[in-house]
Amino acid sequence: MTSSPRALLSDLPKDYSFPPTTFELTPDFVTAYLDATCDEAPVYAEAALAPPLAVAARALGTLLELVELPPGSLHTGQEMEVHAGIPFDATLELSGRVAQRSERAGMIIAALDFAVARGADVVMRGRTTVMMPKETIA
Amino acid sequence: MSAPEVASITKQLSQEQVNEYANAAGDHNPIHIDVAFAEASPFGGTIAHGMLVLASLSEMMARSLGKSWLISGRLRVRFKAPARTRDSITASAKAQSATDGGRHRYVVDVVNQDGEVLISGTAEVDARG
Repeated sequence: MTSSPRALLSDLPKDYSFPPTTFELTPDFVTAYLDATCDEAPVYAEAALAPPLAVAARALGTLLELVELPPGSLHTGQEMEVHAGIPFDATLELSGRVAQRSERAGMIIAALDFAVARGADVVMRGRTTVMMPKETIA
Repeated sequence: MSAPEVASITKQLSQEQVNEYANAAGDHNPIHIDVAFAEASPFGGTIAHGMLVLASLSEMMARSLGKSWLISGRLRVRFKAPARTRDSITASAKAQSATDGGRHRYVVDVVNQDGEVLISGTAEVDARG
């Protein structure tokens, strides 16, 4: 199941699947991420591998190009599993779906599962949990 | 086999850093970057992105565990409270006594300068390095 771009996340049903998409991890992005997080750990350059959360942030940013968070949304949980190191320069495939959706006290709680693949290999899986107001604030 | 110790790290947040993160990550939610909007919100001011605060925890693991974190790290956390854009945050990890299923396991958290827990959860890494 898919819907038009920039649908409100709070409107998406459980089991909604985002259209599979591709994103580029680039040295420029990784550098900008490390600068913004003030992360000067030497291991990334030594191993020539990106910080896992940089990849997760890029994946979430890509999903947010497809769906809009309503005002007042809160990021309440994050899971991440790295299955393989990811170089600074990689073309990655992203898939995602609404794994859980519930309503409580005027709020919608949605869990987005995502997987990042490099070629045939899944290199990262994650789950992002967001709490959103049921009624969109004008 | 016990999990290796992980050294805590402390980071000072700023609005400038939050703005820079918003640009890098493409997350321009006004609660993070629009002071007037955020002051009128229930938070009373801008807050840092959860993923920016979480980055301190991942950096801590990478500094202590090295490449293992980059190839086999796992995080499972809850965001318990927002970080203000002028907070000083400290990420810590407590190693669990036994390695479970070939993985080192840690209880992790991020607290602010007042000791308020902002993030709590677990982290794991492959014990084989």
